[in-house]
Amino acid sequence: MDDQPLLGGALRTRLGRVDGPGGLAGLAGWEAARRLAAEVEGEPRIQRLQTATAFGVYEGLLLGVMQGRRLYRVRPRQLIVATGAFEHPLVFQGNDLPGVFLGTGLQRLITLDGVRPGRAAVVVTNADHGWAVAQDLLAVGVEVAAVAEARPELPPAAEALAAAGVKCFAGATIHDARGRRHVEGALLVRLDAGGDPVAGSERLIACDLIAVSTTPEPAGALLAQADGRLGYDPALDAVVPQALASSVHAAGAVTGLSDLGFALLGGRLAGLEAASALGLGGGEASRMATLRAEVEAHRARLRRGLRVRQLTSVPSVGRKRFVCLCEDVTEKDLADAVREGFDHLETLKRYTTVTMGPCQGKMCHLPAIGVTARLTGRGMAETGTTTARPPVQPVPLGVLAGPHHEPVRRTPLHARHAALGATWMDMGAWKRPLLYTSVEAEVRAVREAVGVIDVSTLGKLEVVGREAAAFLEWIHPGRVADLAVGRIRYRVMCDDAGIILDDGTTARLGEDRFFVTTGTGSLEAVGQWLEWWLAGTGRCVHVADVTSAYAAVNLAGPKCREVLARLTDLDLSPGAFPYMAVREALVGGVPALLLRIGFVGELGYEIHAPAEYGAWLWDLLLDAGREHVIRPFGVEAQRVLRLEKLHLIPGHDTDALSNPLEADMAWAVKLDKPDFIGRRLLEAARARGLRQRLVGFELLDGVVPGEGDAVVADGRPIGRVTSSKWSPTLGRGIGMAWIPPELAQEGVEIRIRSAGRLTRGRVVVRPFYDPDGARLKS
Amino acid sequence: MSFLVPCPHCGPRDVYEFRYGGEFQRRPPPTVSDQEWADYLYARRNVAGPAKEWWYHRQGCRRWFLAVRDTRTNAVLEAFWPEDKPEGAG
Repeated sequence: MDDQPLLGGALRTRLGRVDGPGGLAGLAGWEAARRLAAEVEGEPRIQRLQTATAFGVYEGLLLGVMQGRRLYRVRPRQLIVATGAFEHPLVFQGNDLPGVFLGTGLQRLITLDGVRPGRAAVVVTNADHGWAVAQDLLAVGVEVAAVAEARPELPPAAEALAAAGVKCFAGATIHDARGRRHVEGALLVRLDAGGDPVAGSERLIACDLIAVSTTPEPAGALLAQADGRLGYDPALDAVVPQALASSVHAAGAVTGLSDLGFALLGGRLAGLEAASALGLGGGEASRMATLRAEVEAHRARLRRGLRVRQLTSVPSVGRKRFVCLCEDVTEKDLADAVREGFDHLETLKRYTTVTMGPCQGKMCHLPAIGVTARLTGRGMAETGTTTARPPVQPVPLGVLAGPHHEPVRRTPLHARHAALGATWMDMGAWKRPLLYTSVEAEVRAVREAVGVIDVSTLGKLEVVGREAAAFLEWIHPGRVADLAVGRIRYRVMCDDAGIILDDGTTARLGEDRFFVTTGTGSLEAVGQWLEWWLAGTGRCVHVADVTSAYAAVNLAGPKCREVLARLTDLDLSPGAFPYMAVREALVGGVPALLLRIGFVGELGYEIHAPAEYGAWLWDLLLDAGREHVIRPFGVEAQRVLRLEKLHLIPGHDTDALSNPLEADMAWAVKLDKPDFIGRRLLEAARARGLRQRLVGFELLDGVVPGEGDAVVADGRPIGRVTSSKWSPTLGRGIGMAWIPPELAQEGVEIRIRSAGRLTRGRVVVRPFYDPDGARLKS
Repeated sequence: MSFLVPCPHCGPRDVYEFRYGGEFQRRPPPTVSDQEWADYLYARRNVAGPAKEWWYHRQGCRRWFLAVRDTRTNAVLEAFWPEDKPEGAG
């Protein structure tokens, strides 16, 4: 993977002749790069990813790679890092002026972009590479006004430039860049042995370009993230990898030495070692040992030839001495921070944001260490390095987030609702009809005649097995084991802290077979909750999620029995099929499960049929109900209807602090049962007394409050509204609210602050509609 | 960014396919002291090192299993069905 569009690395940007091995000797850098790239491109077993940035190494050697808007997650078993090195800027007065460049930046402009970057340049360097930059500038017709070499002696490469008439200064560097809006000159200065400028040695050179070319700083962030150790090597004046993780290899300038021959040799060794670790060959041990020795000898030779002079800044004063060009952190900022006590590199970094900009310290890491070392009087090695964390390159969040997929679940009746012009609402991933016509009309149809609602989104679980009854008994606060076959019971489920998780119904289809419904949004949590308590217990209980296997509708209203009777031979008389009973029968020729329950508070049947027959059944029901003017009703009407019955919705009317005793469902909690999930804290809650209660309220005046509005007393909040609607049946606003227990008595007046105004309400503890359930049971 | 969890049924899969189920602990008998019950409900060991945890393969076999994960490195050292090690690994 290469972050550049073409293979070849830094070599692509070099005009000078390489003194590389064999066939490459004498070629221009960019020509050698082409030759090497062609070798890779001609090898079909190498898959290449170009313009692809490896931006981080994560746990388990996971590599994040960004290619345009695409994200690759690569899990290599062996990783070879050959990320090269960066030059770092020098800290001097005016180093942010346009016209101040890094040497490698100029080489890119010259070779890749075909730009002549200026007319007259001053090259400031402390490394051999600076002299190659000066050569390249000359080659494209830039006058090189001077080269300031910080090292005390000029390198051999200086001869050719001196011969071309270039002024070459040894033991000198830049003091400041002159110019108003662009570089107009460079003030050079001689350095004494301690690195301080020699007074009176200043010399102003006119130029429009300043090339700063420093000792290469290995791009070792990926190695560090891959559990390698980096440290300052004074012989190289760079932070270099000192130890690598076992499956990680490094080659090229990232090791701290920039030399083509060394890079080729080291790359070969790294490749063979990786291949041999993978069991893909890699050559005999003796050949590997020879190669390893060759690499070490080359390394030693290069190190012997190194002449370095540490240079990150020239002591002087001035406000425009930038250490971090991304974050505008100056040397003075660092000095102030150190004086304030942030004298450790890691705290200094956080306090000043040095190295925390978009380049993530690629440019300012070494200058920051150098300046800090000088400010604190510690050495470079002692000053240490900052921690390299991913990403090493800015990554758009969109790349990490991936494409925008919003899965949608549609019920088997979706097309029917669409044809009826339903307004949709989202419930989790589900699309549900909110409304078809008007809430008033839909509510009236259910209360006075017959309505039908798609409840396919209800979670449906089949719980079967020899121990299913005992298990359900233990996991619910209510009773299950004594439920007769063919009967249904309301179920509320709590966690071991006694908090309501979910509610629904349990229907016993057989001695060992239960049909359990959950709320629309809680199916996954409930299924996993049951499975979790079963895991490893060996209990003979199986939980199957059959939610999408069934389409389900709730047919409700005083006329619904007559409508259903047209479609089934089942005896629907209240004696044969009473309230809270379950039957399996054919409806319209379709095998169906019928649950006589009533969330909306009317005579009603919840009909579950195989999903593929859902639309057929829906059409039959609408047809059979035509005489009674059957109406489909949506979630909005359903919510009004249930609120008139004060049926709560877990997660809507309850939260992570709600227990069923306070939610007015003590009847669903059987504390006389032996141990069950939630028992201990429900027992404690009963002993302690209720701290709040969930009650109904009706409005005496004003507008219907919003859900979440505060119930107030003496101007202070004492509770909150969880549900509120206009009830067409009652002709007034109604709702549910949590209030202090002492107020939870029929008729007590409460005040609700809604949209900045107070609204009066009256507490109602019995359902508004059909409080004794006569209609449900009819 | 992510790490692999070796599901005992499906093999090593991306952690995003799983639901984390918390530290493994046993439900104490209902007769323990209030303090012990409160610890069971609310106190977690939160170790820096190998921790035995529940995992659920949500986008796979949909089964709960136990895994020993080094919380410092996210390396999953071991994954197994609870019934295979009734006494667990710690």
